[in-house]
Amino acid sequence: MSVAPEKPPREGKGAGRRIRRKSSLTSHGEPMVWLTGASLALCLVMISGLLGLVVYQGGRTFWPQEIVQVETLTGDVLMGQVSRVDTFTPSADALDALPDEARVRVEADMRANEGSVARRMLRTENFDLTGTHFDWIEESVIAAETKPEWAVVVERTAKGRFYGVPQAFLVDGEAHTVGSAATWGKFEEHHARILARVEQIHDLERDDLGHINSRIERQRLALREVELARGMESPEWIAKERETRALVEDAEREFVTITDEIGRLRTINDSFALRFETAGGGTAIVSLANIVRGTPVNRIGTAGKWSVYFDRWWEFLTADPREANSEGGVWPALFGTVMMTLLMTIVVVPIGVLAALYLHEYAKQGFLVGVVRVAVNNLAGVPSIVFGVFGLGFFCYIVGATIDDLFFGARLPNPTFGKGGILWASLTLALLTLPVVIVATEEALSAVPNSMREGSYACGATKWQTIWRIVLPRAQPGIMTGAILSIARGAGEVAPLMLVGAVKLAPDLPVDLGTFPYLFPERSFMHLGFHIYDVGFQSQNSEAAKPMVYTTTLLLIAIVVLLNFVAIAIRARLRRRFLGART
Amino acid sequence: MSDLNPPTDPERMKTQLPARATRPRNADAKPAASGAEKTRARPGGLFECIAEGRQFESVVHPDAGHDEAVVEIVDFRLWYGETQALHDISFSVPKGKVTALIGPSGCGKSTLIRCVNRMNDLVDSVRVEGQMKLNGDAIYGKGVDVIELRKRIGMVFQKPNPFPMSIFENVVYSLRIDGVRDRHALEEVCESSLRGAGLWDEVKDRLKDSALALSGGQQQRLCIARAIAAEPEVLLLDEPCSALDPIATGRIEDLIDDLKGLYSVLIVTHNMQQASRVSDNTAFMYLGRLVEYGPTETLFLSPSLRETEDYVTGRFG
Repeated sequence: MSVAPEKPPREGKGAGRRIRRKSSLTSHGEPMVWLTGASLALCLVMISGLLGLVVYQGGRTFWPQEIVQVETLTGDVLMGQVSRVDTFTPSADALDALPDEARVRVEADMRANEGSVARRMLRTENFDLTGTHFDWIEESVIAAETKPEWAVVVERTAKGRFYGVPQAFLVDGEAHTVGSAATWGKFEEHHARILARVEQIHDLERDDLGHINSRIERQRLALREVELARGMESPEWIAKERETRALVEDAEREFVTITDEIGRLRTINDSFALRFETAGGGTAIVSLANIVRGTPVNRIGTAGKWSVYFDRWWEFLTADPREANSEGGVWPALFGTVMMTLLMTIVVVPIGVLAALYLHEYAKQGFLVGVVRVAVNNLAGVPSIVFGVFGLGFFCYIVGATIDDLFFGARLPNPTFGKGGILWASLTLALLTLPVVIVATEEALSAVPNSMREGSYACGATKWQTIWRIVLPRAQPGIMTGAILSIARGAGEVAPLMLVGAVKLAPDLPVDLGTFPYLFPERSFMHLGFHIYDVGFQSQNSEAAKPMVYTTTLLLIAIVVLLNFVAIAIRARLRRRFLGART
Repeated sequence: MSDLNPPTDPERMKTQLPARATRPRNADAKPAASGAEKTRARPGGLFECIAEGRQFESVVHPDAGHDEAVVEIVDFRLWYGETQALHDISFSVPKGKVTALIGPSGCGKSTLIRCVNRMNDLVDSVRVEGQMKLNGDAIYGKGVDVIELRKRIGMVFQKPNPFPMSIFENVVYSLRIDGVRDRHALEEVCESSLRGAGLWDEVKDRLKDSALALSGGQQQRLCIARAIAAEPEVLLLDEPCSALDPIATGRIEDLIDDLKGLYSVLIVTHNMQQASRVSDNTAFMYLGRLVEYGPTETLFLSPSLRETEDYVTGRFG
C-alpha cells in the first residue's frame, strides 16, 4: 500500500483547498481486492475439490489392483484387493479375543501410535463360500504377505467377484488341463467362444422370445378390443378367438424351438468350468459361462492393466447393469438420461421462447404482466419434488389415464400411459425448467436494441415478421444460453423423476428399433442421477458399490458438461452467423 | 420575396448550394430584411408566449405552399399521456423536394416526423388529434392499414441500425417481407438501391458479409439504401448524421442532394448549416409548435420573426 506523499498546499488560489488524506481503510481499496479475490479463491477451491474428488475416485474404480494374500497370526489366510486403509482404536473386548502373540503386537502398535491401530480393508469376496465381501485386518496381526503370481480376479455374472488361483480346466467335470499357466491358457482359448454363446442366448431370449411374447400380447389385446366392442359371444369375437388360439399354438411351437436352442447352447457352455484354489486352501468350481472377465492381475503388467482398465470402462458405458446395479454397465441409464434431457429440451425451448415472446413483445406492459413475470420467476424457486408430485398427479394419473381410457382400453387395468414414463418425466422436467428458459429469453429479447425493431417496422414489416427476421436471430445466442441452463438443470434433476418414471432397472430402452412402433414414450427408464442414489444407498453390497457411485457421478458430470458444450458450440456458431465478423 | 423562391430544378439547386451555405452566417450582419413583419412578435417575446401556452399564429410563407404536397399536416396535435407534445401543426411537405425540420432539442421535430409513418403507435401512451395525409390518403383514422402505409414511406434513424444480416439481405429487406423470392429482381433492386445510396462501389464485392462490419457512415448509407429499395413516396430522415463524423456527414449530405427530385425528403436536423445546405423548405419548431415555415432561403436570410432569425443565426438555442 502506497500512500501518496503529502503535497504542499498550492500558492494563491489553491491555498484554502482542503488536503485530502487517505486516512480511512475503505479509501484504500486494497482490502476489497483481497476480500473479493479471496472469495473467488474459496469458490475455486471448493469447485476444484469437488471435481478432483469425483475424478480421482471415479477414475480409479476400474483400475485393476494387485491381489495380496495375507496370513494372520490367528492362522487365517485371506486373499483379495486392498480397498481402504485407515486407523481405529480397538475395544478392550476385541483385544482380549485376540491370541496372545497378536495382542502383544497390537498393544505395542497402540502405544506407538497414541492408542490407534492401522488396519486395512481387504476385498475378499467369494461371497458364496465365505458369506462376506470385505474383511478388516489389523496391520500388526499380519504374519506374512505374498502376491501369488497366478491369483485371478474373476468378475462373475452373479454372486459378485471371485478371487482364486486356477488349478484345472474342467470339461464335463473332468480335469482336462492341470496347472495354473496351462489352465489359464485354455481359459483364454475358450472364453471368447463361450461369451459369444452367452450373447447368443441373451439375444434369443430378449429378441426372439420377446417378439413372440409381444406378438401374443398384441393378439390378446386385439381379442380384448373385439370383446369390448362386440361382446364375448359375438361371431367376430369367436372368429378372433379362434385366430388367437391358432396364433398362440403357433407361437408356442416357435417358443419351444427357441427354448431348445437356448438349452442346447447352455449345455455346451456348462460343460466348461474352471477349478480354483481359494485362499483358505479349499477349491471352488466356476462355470466359464458365469465369468464375465478373468484377470491374473499380478502377472499382466502395466500395459495389461491399462487394457483391462479401458475394457472395464467400455463395459461400464455399453453394458446393462449386473448384480443389483453395483457391477456391470450403465448403458440404459446413460441412454435414458440423454434421451430424457433431449426430449425435455425439445419441449421446453419452443414453449418457453413463445411464452417469453408474448410476455415481452406482444403483451401490454402493465400490472398483470408484472404479476405473471414474478410468478414465473418464483416458479424457478419451487422445490423440484413439487413438480414431481404435480407430474405424477397430472401427467400420469389424469392425462395418462385419459389416454389409456381412450386408446388403450384393452390393456386395462394395466396402465400404459397412466404411470410413470419417459414422456411424462420429460414433460415434468420441461415444466421445471420453463422459468429458466423464459427468463433467459426475456433477457435476450430486452438486449435486442429497439432501433432494430423500429428499423424493421419502418420498412413495413409486421410485428411477427420483425420478431422472426430481426428479433429472434439477434436474441438467439441468449435463447441458447437459456437452453443450456435448462439442460444443466434438467439433466441433474433426480427427485421429481423418482415419482414420474425413473426406475431401478429398465433394460428395455424407450427406443427399440426391432419392435414396432420403435418409440415407447410410455416406458419407464433408468437415469444416472437415480442410479447413483440407488447404487449408493439401496445396494446390499454397499462397500463394493461405493466406487461405482463415484464413477457414475463422474459420468453424469461428463454428460452434463458434454451436453453443455454441444449447446455452447451451437451458440458460438449462431453468434458468428448473426453478428458478423466484428464480434 | 418571389426572387427568393427556391428553384425547383434540382440541378440548378445544387450549383447554388455552396454559396447559400455560407450565407446564414452573415445574416446578423445584414439589416433586417423585413423589419415590418418582425413587429408581429408579441411583446415579451414569442418564446415566452409559447412557453406560457398562449395562442399564436404560425407564420407560413406562401411560397412554401405552391408545390404539390406529398405529406400534408393539418391541425396535428399529440399527447404523451397528459403532456401535449405537439400543438396545432399545419404545413405541407412538397413533392420532390427536401424539407428540413429545425428547432432546439425537445421541440417535437422527431415526434412529428415519427408521426408521419406512425412509428409513435409503438409508444403506448401516445394520443393524437388532427390529420396527416400522404398523397391525399389519410394517415390517421379508422381503416388505415399501418403496415401498408409504412411500405409507402422510407425512414432512416439517428443511429445507423443495420439488421444483423448480410448487406444484401439488409437492402432487400422490404422486398423479402413482401415475399419477393425472385433472385434476379432482388439483385437488381439491391444494386440500384446501393448505387442510389452511393455505396455500391464500396460493398459490391462483399454483399454476403455482415452489415455490422461496415463503418458508421457506410451503415447509415446502407440504411438509406434499405429505405429507398422500397421506392417510398416520402423519405423521412431523423437526424441521419448526428452519430457520424464530419466526412461521413458530408457524404450523406451529398447523397441527400442526389436524392432531391427523385424522392421527397423530410429531414430532421440539429445542424443549421446542414438545413441550409440541403433543404428547399425549412420549418422551425419550438416547444411543440410550428413557429415559421417557408423556403429555406427566406427562413435563413429574411425570416418574418425575430425569434427565427435569432435561432438560425445561433443567438438562441
